[in-house]
Amino acid sequence: MTEANASRSERRAQIVQKIIDKTGVDEAMIREVVHDFYAKVRLDALIGPIFARVIGEDWDKHLAKMSDFWSSVMLMSGRYKGNPMMAHMRLKTVQPVHFERWLELFRRSAVETCPPEAAVAFVMRADDIARSLQLGMFFRAGTEAEAVPDLRVVR
Amino acid sequence: MTFVVTDACIKCKYMDCVEVCPVDCFYEGENMLVIDPDICIDCGVCEPECPAEAIKPDTESGLERWLTLNAEYAKKWPNIVQKGEPPADAKEHDGEMGKFEKYFSEQPGSDDDASKSGAA
Repeated sequence: MTEANASRSERRAQIVQKIIDKTGVDEAMIREVVHDFYAKVRLDALIGPIFARVIGEDWDKHLAKMSDFWSSVMLMSGRYKGNPMMAHMRLKTVQPVHFERWLELFRRSAVETCPPEAAVAFVMRADDIARSLQLGMFFRAGTEAEAVPDLRVVR
Repeated sequence: MTFVVTDACIKCKYMDCVEVCPVDCFYEGENMLVIDPDICIDCGVCEPECPAEAIKPDTESGLERWLTLNAEYAKKWPNIVQKGEPPADAKEHDGEMGKFEKYFSEQPGSDDDASKSGAA
């Protein structure tokens, strides 16, 4: 590893440490949020069936994948690599109302399983990502983008 | 909404962003990277990661031109999923203003760049 690369991995470690100091988020907490959230999803009458169709019996794999995703997003671990935009664009029956429910359940899981600072950090990221996916799915290449409801909670 | 790569990346091209991006949405030109706005999910992980502070949310004002450039070259340049070696003179161009007019290259970055052969 070159000197420049070494100093930058140190720099990343510092950024991540700042996030941890500020929010208390760690890998165990990420795993707990993900597991709690998808337990709620599976019981939900509105979005449970959509996940059941796509995930089938392969929940262990999906939970591991989503833990990797949230680790990459919250702690910059780079563990997840994928194309969620394309994965969601394929889901032709998914509507904005499903995203609203997704976010509602995610907020509940974050609040129930995390200290407040961490819950806010999770929800902020989830809101931004959900909004971005919806822009891609429902408002691509149009001027209607302005019409996307702002689902973000007051920060 | 997406994040976009701006002027500060040109000639610096540190590529740290590539390592943390969960959705592999960076594309490589000869002397800068761009983000594909159709793939970016707005997770924001790359923004603090960039040593040159070149990555901005497109909600910031005055970035329309950069959004257009990112969208255009993401379709022309190759996808970069592994960080290569930054240019030797990257630091000299860090913080320089108006780099687009002086240096921007439409040429794609090369996939078989010797610097990406594991030297890092």
